[in-house]
Amino acid sequence: MGRYLLRRASESLLVLFIMSFVIYGLLGLMPGDPVEMMVQANPNLTAGDIQQLREIHGIDRPILERYLAWLGSALSGDLGYSRLFAVPVEEVLLPRLGNTLLLMGAAFVLAFAIALPAGIAAARRPWSAVDGLVNLTAFAGISVPPFWLAILLIILFSVSLGWLPAGGMGQGGLGSTLLYMVLPVATLCLAAVGSHIRFVRAAMMEALRQDHIRTARAKGLSERQVVYGHALGNAMIPIVTILALDFGTLFSGALITETMFGWLGMGKTIYDAIMGNDYNLALVGLLLATIVVLLANLLADLAYGWLDPRVSYR
Amino acid sequence: MRRLLPLLLAWALFCCSAPALAGGAGSLTIGITQAPSTLHPNIDSMLAKSYLLGFLRRPLTQYDQDWKLVNMLAETLPTFDNGLAEKVELDNGDEGIRTTWTIHPQAAWGDGTPVTTEDVVFTYDVGSTPQSGVATTELYKRIVEIEVVDEKTFRVTGDRITFSYNSFGDFGLLPAQIERPVFEADPASYRNRTAFDNDPTNPGLHYGPYRLASLDRGSSYTLEPNPTWYGPEPAFDRIVLRVIEDTAALQANLLSGAIDMISGELGLTADQAVPFAEGRGKAYNILFQPGLIYEHIDLMLDNPVLQDRRVRQALLHAIDRELLVEQLFAGTQPVAHSSVSPLDRMHSEDIPTYDHDPAKAAALLEEAGWTEIKDGIRHNAAGEELSFEIMTTAGNRNRELVQQVLQSMWREAGIEIVIRNQPPRVLFGETVRKREYEALAMYAWISAPESVPYSTLHSTQIPSAENGWSGQNSNGYANPEMDALLERLERELDPAERKGLWRELQRIYATDLPVLPLYWRSDAYVLPNWLKGVRPTGHLGPSSLWVEEWTRAEGG
Amino acid sequence: MSAQPGESALAAAARGVSGEAVSFSRLLARRFLRNRLAVAAGIFLVLLALAALAAPLAAALFGAPSQIDLLAIGQPPSLAHPLGTDELGRDLLVRLLYGGRVSLAVGLMAALCAAVIGTSLGLLAGYFGGRLDSLLMRFADSVIALPLLPLLIVLAAVDLGELGIPASIAQSEDVSLYRIVFLIALVGWTTVARLVRGATLSLKQREYVRAAEALGASHLRLMAVHILPNAVSPIIVATTLSVGNIILLESVLSFLGLGIQPPIPSWGNMLTGAQEVIWSNPMLAVWPGLFIFLTVIGFNLLGDGLQDALDPRSTISRRALRTRAAGKSVTPS
Repeated sequence: MGRYLLRRASESLLVLFIMSFVIYGLLGLMPGDPVEMMVQANPNLTAGDIQQLREIHGIDRPILERYLAWLGSALSGDLGYSRLFAVPVEEVLLPRLGNTLLLMGAAFVLAFAIALPAGIAAARRPWSAVDGLVNLTAFAGISVPPFWLAILLIILFSVSLGWLPAGGMGQGGLGSTLLYMVLPVATLCLAAVGSHIRFVRAAMMEALRQDHIRTARAKGLSERQVVYGHALGNAMIPIVTILALDFGTLFSGALITETMFGWLGMGKTIYDAIMGNDYNLALVGLLLATIVVLLANLLADLAYGWLDPRVSYR
Repeated sequence: MRRLLPLLLAWALFCCSAPALAGGAGSLTIGITQAPSTLHPNIDSMLAKSYLLGFLRRPLTQYDQDWKLVNMLAETLPTFDNGLAEKVELDNGDEGIRTTWTIHPQAAWGDGTPVTTEDVVFTYDVGSTPQSGVATTELYKRIVEIEVVDEKTFRVTGDRITFSYNSFGDFGLLPAQIERPVFEADPASYRNRTAFDNDPTNPGLHYGPYRLASLDRGSSYTLEPNPTWYGPEPAFDRIVLRVIEDTAALQANLLSGAIDMISGELGLTADQAVPFAEGRGKAYNILFQPGLIYEHIDLMLDNPVLQDRRVRQALLHAIDRELLVEQLFAGTQPVAHSSVSPLDRMHSEDIPTYDHDPAKAAALLEEAGWTEIKDGIRHNAAGEELSFEIMTTAGNRNRELVQQVLQSMWREAGIEIVIRNQPPRVLFGETVRKREYEALAMYAWISAPESVPYSTLHSTQIPSAENGWSGQNSNGYANPEMDALLERLERELDPAERKGLWRELQRIYATDLPVLPLYWRSDAYVLPNWLKGVRPTGHLGPSSLWVEEWTRAEGG
Repeated sequence: MSAQPGESALAAAARGVSGEAVSFSRLLARRFLRNRLAVAAGIFLVLLALAALAAPLAAALFGAPSQIDLLAIGQPPSLAHPLGTDELGRDLLVRLLYGGRVSLAVGLMAALCAAVIGTSLGLLAGYFGGRLDSLLMRFADSVIALPLLPLLIVLAAVDLGELGIPASIAQSEDVSLYRIVFLIALVGWTTVARLVRGATLSLKQREYVRAAEALGASHLRLMAVHILPNAVSPIIVATTLSVGNIILLESVLSFLGLGIQPPIPSWGNMLTGAQEVIWSNPMLAVWPGLFIFLTVIGFNLLGDGLQDALDPRSTISRRALRTRAAGKSVTPS
C-alpha cells in the first residue's frame, strides 16, 4: 500500500513536471504577443516603443530560457506576477478558485442530490416508464449546447419573468450571492445531472443483480431494505470513485457558464490568461487544475480500494 | 417591459437608501464588454482602461467631441498665437519647440494633496526609465527637458518641429507622493508593485470627478464622487461598471434591468445594435457614432496580380459597399473612401471614389488581361484563374458576415475568392505582422484625429526581419511621392499648408488604392431614455471624460 | 465481480445462448428493438442523415447555401423559404441541411479516427503489458490533462502547406473542418484505448487465445483475429456516444470562435451567429440549437441502446465505469 502510493505519487509528479513544460511550450508556440494587443489599442505607439515593450515583458527571449527562469523561481516559491493584472498570480487565482468552488460545488452537490434518487428509481424498474423518463431527462441534460441553455435560461428567468439576475456575482452578502448563483448553478447542474444519473443507474442495476440481493429477497426482506440496505451500499463503491474523479474537474472551472453569467471563476481566468498571453497566470492556473485532477485520480484509486476490500494494491 | 418596472423600482429604492453625496441623481450601472487589466495610466494601453480612467482623471489635453484639441487638466492650451509655444534652438543645433503649461490651480489628488509640477517631474522620471514598463516611451524620448517654473507651471522642450507639439494627452500624471517611494525602491519591478494595481482604491491616485470606491477585478468597478474634484459636480452618486463579455448576455442584462446602459466604446457592434434597436429599441435611446476605426482590406502588393493598379480598382468597383452598409448596418456605418474620416478636419472630398460599377470593373479587368471567362471565373491568356484568398479575424462575426457578402459580390464579377480566417492572435501576431498573407486581409486600423498615417504608408515602415517586423505597412506600399508627403506632414505647422498636404495624400491614396477602404465602424451607445448629456466622441477619447455633463432627466 | 471487465457480448452470449450466429444476431436485434427510445433515436438519425444527403435537392429548390440576398434578410417562413432566411438572406432550411452534413461528418470522422487510434494503442498496451502498458497509460493521463484551448490556437496557426499537406487541402475552405477532426482525434482516443486495454487484458488470459498462441499464431494474428473481434462491442458503444459529444464540442468551439469557420455552415457556427440577433430573430437560434440537441440526444440514446443489446448482463463493469469518467470530458460546460 505504502509503496503503491509512493509509486503513484512519483508518477504523478513526473506527469506534472512534463505538463508544466508542455503547457509553457504550447503558450510559447502561440503566435502573437501581448504587445500586439497594446498596439491595437494605441495608435501612438512607435516601432521603438514596441521593441522596448517586448524586452520589458521578456517576450524577446527564447522560450526555453524563459521556462527555466520560471521553473527556478517557481520551485523557490515565487510563482511570479500576472502580466494582465500586475499583481502576484496567487492574488488573482485564489479568490477565483473560491468562486469556482462555490459555483461548481453547489452544482455538483445539487446534481448528485437529484441523480441519486432518480438513478435508483430508474434502476429498480428497468424498462419501465419511470426508467424511460429518467433516461430521457438524463440524456436531454447532457445534449444541450451549454451556451444556448444559458441564454435560454437568462431570457426566460431574467428578461421575461424578471425573477433572477441575468449575471454577475451579487453585491456581497449571502442572500445576494445565492440569488446570483441560481442560474449558473442550474445551467451547470442540468449538464452534470445527466451523467450522474447514468452512473447511479448503472451501478445500482449491477448491484441489484448480485447473488446476495437474491438471497436477501429470498429471506423475505422488504424491498426497501433490499434496495437501501444492501444494494445501495455496494453501488456506492463505483459511484464514490466516479465522484472523486469528477471532483478533479471542478477546479478547472466552467468556461462557458462563467462567460455567459459573468462569474469570475477559474475557467474564465485561464481562458483570458491564454488569450491575453499572461504566461504566469495561464500556467499556474492550468497546473493547479492538473494537480487537482491527478490528486483526484489518486484519491479515486484509494477510495476504490478502501471501499472494496477485494482490490489489492500492487 | 411591465415586469421590468418593479425591478427598476426595487433597484431605485436600494440606491436611494445609500447616502446621497452629490447631485442626487442616484446610481448608474454601465455594461462594458472588456475588463481593464492594469490600472496604471501609462502602462499598457487598453480601451477598457481609458474608459474607466475617464471617470477618475483627466489628461492635460484632449480631443473633444468636435475633434478639436482642448485643454483639460492644463489651464490653457499652448499655441504659437498665445505665446505659450515657441521655436527654440537645441544644443545639438536642431530646432525644437518649447511649450509652457499650467496645471489647473484647484486640481488636487483625492487625498487632498495638490497636483503639482513635482508630479510632472516624477511622471517624466518614470517614463524616461526604460525598464519601468511605460508603453509610450517615444513620448518621453522626444522630451529634451522639463523645466519647473513654480508649483503649478512647467515648460517642456520637445526635440523636433512637429504639428502635434501641444498634444500632451498620453502624459498621464502620477502622484509622486504615493508612487515615488514605490518606484525608487526598484524601478525594474515598479510595474508589478505600483499602487494603481496593488492599492487601486487609494483615493490619492486620481483627481477626477469620481474615485474608485471598490472593485472586483475583472467583474465590477464601483465609482463614487471625489470630494477634491475641481470641476462641476457630477450628477450621479454612484457609477458601477460591470463587465459582461458575451454580447447576448449583455443585452439580456440590459433588458432585465441589471444594467442601465451599454457603453458605446466597449459594447455592441453596429450589426448587433441594429437588430436590437428593431426589436427592443423603443425603450432605449440608441446612438450610433461613426468613429475612427477604419475597416479595410489590406492588399498584398508583392502579389503580382495585385501589383496591377487596375485590378485593385476593379476589385473596389465590383463590390456594392453602399448596399452592404445599408442592409447589414442600416446605414449606421458610413462607407469609407480613404483612410481619413469625414469627421476629421483634414478630410478631403476632392478624391476619386469607386461606386458599384460592374461594367467598369469588367473593363478594368479586361484591360489588365483577365479576358476569358470560364465557369464564371476570369482567366488570363496564360490560363491562370483570377483567384484571391481573403483572411480576417475568426470569431469576429461582423467581419465574417461582411466577408461572405464580399465573396458573393466578387464572384459575380468573375473573381474567385477563398475564405481562410485565423484567430485574431494568429492573424495580427503572425500573418499580418510578418506579411504572410497571400492576397487580401480584412481588419481595422484605429487612428487618432489628424494622426499622420506614417506607420501604415511610409516605405520605411514595411515590416521585415531586418527591422524586427516593426511598422504597420504590411501590404508593402512604397511610393516616393507619398513618403515625401508624410515626412512633410509631420513637420509642417501651418494649418492651411497642412490641409493642402492632407488633400494630396488622400488623392494619391484613393488613386493608388494600397488598401480597399470599406467603412467606418460605429460605436453603438444604448442609453436609457432618462439619461442625458452622454456625447459620443468617435475617437479614442472615451465619453467618460465628460461624465460631469451626464444627468438624469426629470421623471427618469 | 460479475462480468469480466470489457467482456464482449459475443463471449457473454456464447456462454448463455448456445447456437449459431443467426439466432444470436436475431437475439441482438430483439434486445435492441425492445428499447423503444433507442429505436426511435436510430430512425431519427437515419432520417436526418438522409435529409442531409438530400441537401443539394433542397438547394435546387430554395437556393444554394451560399446564395446571399441582402434584400431578403431575416425573412419569415414562406413557400420560397420554408424556414425563412438568415442574417444574410440565405435559405435557412438549406443551410441547416448543409450544416447537418458538416456537423455529422465532423462527429463521425473524429469519432472514427479516435476509435482507430484508441483501439490500436489499447490493444498494444493490453497485449504486451509491462513497460509499454505503463508508458501508454501515463501518456493517456497526460493527454487527458492537456489543455485544449492553447492547442487549438496553436494548430490554427500551423501552416499546413509547410507540413507537406497538398495545397488543394491546405488552402481550401474546408481546412478548419480537418483541423477540428484532427484535434479531437488527437485528444479523444483515451477512452477507447482504456476500454480496449481492459478487454485485451482479460481476453488474452482466455483459453482459446492461449490455445491459439500455443499453436504458433503470431502476435499480430492473435490481436487481430482472436482478441479484437471480441472487444468490439465496447468500441462501438463508446464511439457512438462520442459522436454526439463531438457535435456538442464543435458548437462550443464555434462559440469561442475556434470551430468550423464560415462560409462553411455548421450547426455550431450557425447557432453562435444567431445568438447575436436573438432579440430580433429568435428562430435563427432556435433551429440550429434544436438540431444539435436532437442529434446529440439521438446518438446518446442509440449508444445506450446498443450497450444494452450488446452487453446485457453488465451495462457497465466497474472498470468501464471508471474509464468513462476518467476519459477526457470533451464538453467544457
